[in-house]
Amino acid sequence: MKRIPIPVLLLVMLLFTIIGCSSSQQSANGGTGSSRTIETAKSESKHDVKLRIAWWGGQARHDYTLKLIEMYQQQNPGVKIDTEYAGFDDYWKKLAPQAAANQLPDIIQMDISYLNQYSSKNQLEDLDELTSNGTLDVRSASPETIDAGRIGGKLYGITLGVNAMGATFDAALLKQAGIASIPVNWTWSDLEQIAKRMKGQGKVLDHMRFDQFFPYYLRTHNQHYFSSDGTSLGYSDPQYFIDYFTMYLKWYDAGYMRNWDKESLTKLTPEENPVALGDGFMTMAWSNQFITLQEASNKSLNMIGMPGPNGKQGLYLKPTMLFSISKSSKQKTEAAKFISWFINDLEANKLIHGDRGIPISAAVKEGLKPLLTEADQKVYDYVAWAQLNSSAMDPPDPPGAAEVSKLLRDMQEQILYRKLSVEEAAAKFMNDANAVLAKNKK
Amino acid sequence: MKLRENDHIVGYVFISPFILGFLIFTLFPMFSSLYFSFTEYDLLSAPRWVGLSNYEKMFTDDDKIMDSIRVTLTYVLTSVPSRLIIALLVAMLLNRAVKGIGLYRATYYLPSLIGGSVAVSIMWRQIFGDKGLINAFLDTIGIHTTISWIGYPATALGTLVLLSVWQFGSSMLIFLAGLKNIPGTYYEAASVDGAGPIRKFFHITLPLLSPIILFNLILQTISGFLTFTPAYIISNGEGGPLNNTLLYSLYLFHRAFVFFEMGYASAMAWFMLILIGLITLVIFKTSKYWVHYES
Repeated sequence: MKRIPIPVLLLVMLLFTIIGCSSSQQSANGGTGSSRTIETAKSESKHDVKLRIAWWGGQARHDYTLKLIEMYQQQNPGVKIDTEYAGFDDYWKKLAPQAAANQLPDIIQMDISYLNQYSSKNQLEDLDELTSNGTLDVRSASPETIDAGRIGGKLYGITLGVNAMGATFDAALLKQAGIASIPVNWTWSDLEQIAKRMKGQGKVLDHMRFDQFFPYYLRTHNQHYFSSDGTSLGYSDPQYFIDYFTMYLKWYDAGYMRNWDKESLTKLTPEENPVALGDGFMTMAWSNQFITLQEASNKSLNMIGMPGPNGKQGLYLKPTMLFSISKSSKQKTEAAKFISWFINDLEANKLIHGDRGIPISAAVKEGLKPLLTEADQKVYDYVAWAQLNSSAMDPPDPPGAAEVSKLLRDMQEQILYRKLSVEEAAAKFMNDANAVLAKNKK
Repeated sequence: MKLRENDHIVGYVFISPFILGFLIFTLFPMFSSLYFSFTEYDLLSAPRWVGLSNYEKMFTDDDKIMDSIRVTLTYVLTSVPSRLIIALLVAMLLNRAVKGIGLYRATYYLPSLIGGSVAVSIMWRQIFGDKGLINAFLDTIGIHTTISWIGYPATALGTLVLLSVWQFGSSMLIFLAGLKNIPGTYYEAASVDGAGPIRKFFHITLPLLSPIILFNLILQTISGFLTFTPAYIISNGEGGPLNNTLLYSLYLFHRAFVFFEMGYASAMAWFMLILIGLITLVIFKTSKYWVHYES
């Protein structure tokens, strides 16, 4: 009889350990930060509503978003929000298994390139009802901005801000080389001339990311990266590929860009950008990256539209990111209220500070005006200019886009290392990418 | 009798964490992955049965998989033998009565302790980067170069092999134990017969050590095939340049977590299992020709 308590005790302890492990359901939380719940001063009061929200970003974004959520909970004592956050790559690797387990967060920060994939698998809620009954108030945003989150007529995400691609450059460096200014309607051959002149000063042009600037080039020729139904590439004449990469290879061989063995290893952070390092005079980037790039460079930078011809046709405004509500959420109305607050509340947007793009609400934009720094102002001016000098965005990327972009990266690499001629790469890319996208035919 | 039954229960209680863990975290995932390998599964929608088509695609319609197998074989065939040779040489050096030998042994073992970790891989990136230690060293001896060893196609895989060789510690420890087991009298007898050090090595050390070599060879070959972290970190997750560091495990990871093709990735995993099984079998079968057991 005396011996029994020991195994019983062990069993009880074991049970406790198992329970202890399983009750903390935090496996889904991101690698770069720990999940936590912010208790407000009124945390003793009963929490009727529990929400989960997930986003990606860097440390600065995590910090202010947590503050935002704290602010929201103070204003809405009945709501308790659990947070999950990670860096961009890890974020998607965590989200997919959650979707598989039918445990997506209520509010999901969504990228336009993944919107199609998640909505087509029936994971996201159509937000039309919530916006039309006013729970999610989008009246202060333009209809085109809202439509960016629409697929097949259904609204799967609310744009949080807009941005546009452009050329960010170090005007002081250009001036030293005798280039006083860049004309607004400049072209690829202007860029070539500038790059040539700057090479004489030992400064390079940053590499242009294949899956963003090749599509831009296609658009300037009234062609597209993906066909509108997403079952093939959007262009059928390999000549566009050949022209773009022949130009690219020519510049690379002339030494206008840094060696690919160095470029291929950078993590594309602002700190590693040649402009920030002082080795480069220009980088093609998104407008919401301008401020962090300027901070990393520690010097004044400028922003101008992309090289043409037909820049207006190539340029487009893009949602920086969106908020979606998962289909499995049991608190859709409450989730919608939070998103509504996020896009419309001026105090909240003072914390966001343009990090999620230019706010979509006209009222918020107006309210923020007195607070803008010089760098903020440049971004605002640029996006305002781009709004008038751009055309409609392409539909969100089809499923398989990630694999196609990896293919394009391989092609660029093999061209620059001279493993494939531009013509061979053009044919191979078209063949392989179309094979990947053909899976979308159903 | 009653006491005995009670003892059994205690035994089961103690072993239950292992059994549960094995069932939940090993056996169940293994068989799920076998099932998924016959399906098309993107994690977001339910798996769809496609029979053998994942396997068919692997062998007929995926040139990258051949690239990755070539890279993996090159990696294993170069890193495992060099690692074992270095481990044996160092073990022989450390098998002497030198002052402070314990400290040496510990120091040489250190790199394997930290293993194929992320931190070491990041350090390797720095050392072989364009502004890294290697280039700085070459600079001091008058060779000026700015190539990035890990970004340059011809040398990228070499840096991974070097990293693997550098972590020879665990094989070395096992060799050391084996060397200690060889009776000194054999060497004395050989000396009396006039054998030199080379003859002693090939006629005493190597044959008596051969079972240990077999053990190390199998262990290192398997772990070589499964190498993932250094390739992932050093190539920025891309397996570049020109897919020269696209180890099989890294490509499998791309398929699973970048392109969301869990079914295909599962098929790849099972193919890898079979491949490793076959190679191990071959090593075992040939071992009777070169492994010497004292009996």
